[in-house]
Amino acid sequence: MSKRTINGIDFARMAAAGADQLNHNAERVNALNVFPVPDGDTGTNMNLTMTSGMKELQGKTSPHLGKVVEALSKGLLMGARGNSGVILSQLFRGFAKSLATLEEAGPVQLAAALQYGVDMAYKAVVKPVEGTILTVAREAAKHAVTISRRIGTADELMREVYEKANEALQRTPEQLPVLKQVGVVDSGGQGLVYIYEGFARVLSALDAPQQEASEATAVTEAALPEDVGMADRLRSAVAGRPGHSAQARLATEDIEFLYDMEFFIDRNKAAKNAPVFNEQRFKEALAKDGDSILVIESDDVIKVHVHSRKPGDVLNLALPFGELIDIHILNMREQHRDLLEDEGHGEPNSLPSPEALAAAEVLTGGAAPQTTSPEQVHEYAPFGIIAVAMGEGIAEILLDNNVDIVLSGGQTMNPSTEDFVKAIEALPAEHIFLLPNNGNIILAAEQAAELAGRSVSVLPTRTVPQGLAAALAFREDESIERNGELMKRAAESVRSGQITQAVRDTSIDGIAIREGDFIGIQEKAIVVSTSDLSDACRTLLGGMLEEGGDLITVLTGEDADAGVTSQLKQWLNTEHPEVEVEVLEGGQPLYPYVFAVE
Amino acid sequence: MTTIRIVTDSTADLPADVRKQFGIEMVPLQLSFGDETFLDAVTIETDQFYKKLAASDQLPKSSQPSTNAFKELYERILTETPDAHIISIHLSASLSGTYQSAVIGSTMVEIEDAESRITVFDSKSASIGIGVLVLKAAEMAAAGSSKELIIAVLEQLRTDTKIYFLVDTLEYLQKGGRIGKASAVIGSLLNIKPILTLDEDGVVSSIDKVRGQKKAMLRIMELLGQKFNGQEPVTVTFAYAQRIEGAHEMNELLKSHFNVQGTTYFELGPVIGTHAGPGTVGLFMHRV
Repeated sequence: MSKRTINGIDFARMAAAGADQLNHNAERVNALNVFPVPDGDTGTNMNLTMTSGMKELQGKTSPHLGKVVEALSKGLLMGARGNSGVILSQLFRGFAKSLATLEEAGPVQLAAALQYGVDMAYKAVVKPVEGTILTVAREAAKHAVTISRRIGTADELMREVYEKANEALQRTPEQLPVLKQVGVVDSGGQGLVYIYEGFARVLSALDAPQQEASEATAVTEAALPEDVGMADRLRSAVAGRPGHSAQARLATEDIEFLYDMEFFIDRNKAAKNAPVFNEQRFKEALAKDGDSILVIESDDVIKVHVHSRKPGDVLNLALPFGELIDIHILNMREQHRDLLEDEGHGEPNSLPSPEALAAAEVLTGGAAPQTTSPEQVHEYAPFGIIAVAMGEGIAEILLDNNVDIVLSGGQTMNPSTEDFVKAIEALPAEHIFLLPNNGNIILAAEQAAELAGRSVSVLPTRTVPQGLAAALAFREDESIERNGELMKRAAESVRSGQITQAVRDTSIDGIAIREGDFIGIQEKAIVVSTSDLSDACRTLLGGMLEEGGDLITVLTGEDADAGVTSQLKQWLNTEHPEVEVEVLEGGQPLYPYVFAVE
Repeated sequence: MTTIRIVTDSTADLPADVRKQFGIEMVPLQLSFGDETFLDAVTIETDQFYKKLAASDQLPKSSQPSTNAFKELYERILTETPDAHIISIHLSASLSGTYQSAVIGSTMVEIEDAESRITVFDSKSASIGIGVLVLKAAEMAAAGSSKELIIAVLEQLRTDTKIYFLVDTLEYLQKGGRIGKASAVIGSLLNIKPILTLDEDGVVSSIDKVRGQKKAMLRIMELLGQKFNGQEPVTVTFAYAQRIEGAHEMNELLKSHFNVQGTTYFELGPVIGTHAGPGTVGLFMHRV
């Protein structure tokens, strides 16, 4: 199907093919991560970002190109995870803006749109680094603009774009020394090349595989094995966020669990002989015909959120435990149709919906749901803090120290822009600070801050120790600016160290790393790699203490070893008797130890 | 020449032998654990008190001495020493009704001209912060200084003394409702040391919350550094609750930062101890 121009239907097919191509190769992209650490995988992040874009596209396919691209862009923006995911979303944001009014587009318009996307992405990144996805996108767009006038068809243009992007990708090791050192091309750039490859293939009708919907789903799950599964299980007990398996159903035409239900069970009005509420069993029952399940239990009320096929069954299931109040049931298929027409969606400065407020109140163990009627004026706290962390212990510590909502993530799974936006919407505070606590989450947080339309600032904390120090420095009675300074200064005064296990053999900065080695990371640099956990801890801490320190915080992870922990305490007492040591159960996965020195 | 007699209350945390040596009179506050009532430093000793505190779920309540207690003491002194002028120095009026009680007591004394012979002085301080003022006044009285001069010196000393309490655990501040609102569990998991001070009006305020004893002590050094330059000679008085090691450690640190000429240690008494809790170290520093 050689085409001079493409319309909305063509683009939807391109997007599906691009998403598919990325999906097939997500693990390959993951394997390009420079650091052999088991988290923040670029392939996973980009794939989930793309999946969110495709979900938004579902049922919105129309011949109007601008509208289809806009839908994809919106889904990408909200679903953006990780720095590469955010940059990908910005590329398509610009692309969509440029094409917004066009029914169809030929090579010249497409090239201009690609270029506009690049401009937008560069603007979104504070310090653009060459040899990354940005470079790949830029060189491809530049080439497209150059040749677009003499090229006849859209498919030819896309093929050129794909080829140029691939060439640029192969050059990334020359631009970014660390890539050369490790002997890989840039992972984000590779992800983009896969997407462009999908675009080009569909348009050129080069052996484009026509996947069945079910097959695509199966592939998604196979391509993202334990990582996603584990992350789903670990997703914050605090925020109780549902999993994302639903998003993987790319080609399903309809939303399967179409009734979006939310209500509260008032336990105080339960019958005397009411059965004991078992959250786990209740959730399992909901899962029979539903997903996106969220159940939050407090002494007075149980908040229930579910997308279900059978709303009647859900209500009947809940009835024995108390009176049902504040019942909202929405048809999501209907919502989708409405959204498509509703251009003015997401107006800026909109306050959280009463629904979101109700959720927040229950999440924070606050007021009864009766206070959620829309007529009532909600009391806003002057400040709120949302932090990202993994591990129940760490979440608990953060929540104990000024943080209102903990988003699960940082390791194994980076929260999406939408996760942040939802948390922001759920927090009734006049100003909200975001603590991403991971370098790969900062951009998503910044994107959320921009999209949320509320007063939000991001403190670019890169580690949990930094985030914890920042949270502790918060002062209720200070101004936004002063708090920003206090928290920033506190974060900067902490030295962070982490111990994890290498996921493959490699060599970085002269340190030979074998798969399975315990590697010690100080701030962003790997400083030690050894097969002995104790050794790794001592070398890392020894280095961190070179510039002195008064207090060491040890956050023990799921895989910490009690023997190693007590040896470590002893060693610190002998070698650094002047330093106080505090050992706390962090419960984080994959990182047996996280250290803070201050 | 008039004789100056000094009166204080039990929250000055001056031990009986010191009071005896300087001829200082003391009016006790009352402490009650449920139905049991004690006269602070009279029917309960500090050690005994902390044992009871540790064993008790509820915080004991303290109450100011009655106006009559002051009236009777003032009457006794003025009868014993007919030419006496009384300087009565008490716990910050912002923290307790003790000062108020003393003022009213002084108006009830049934001796001619009594009111003009009693000066009730608000220490705007607590614990040994009051004690420092009381000892200074007693020393000056013994040296024959006039009432006017003593009061002027006390006012100056009150302004010059920097006071910090390094609290060891948040538990007692929480039980006493001194930590606000939803943050009832703040810091329960972390080794957080609040640093409290008494401001110029004698009101308790929280300066900072620091993780770890060492860091908290260093923060106090930093705060003291804003007032003292390290060269001028200073005197330090500690009030410690059950943990003199903390005070010793802080003193070592002080000596490395400031020109410390003398250090004295006292026990932190029940009234302040109840709210700050065992392990607290109170520090009072002023120029020599």
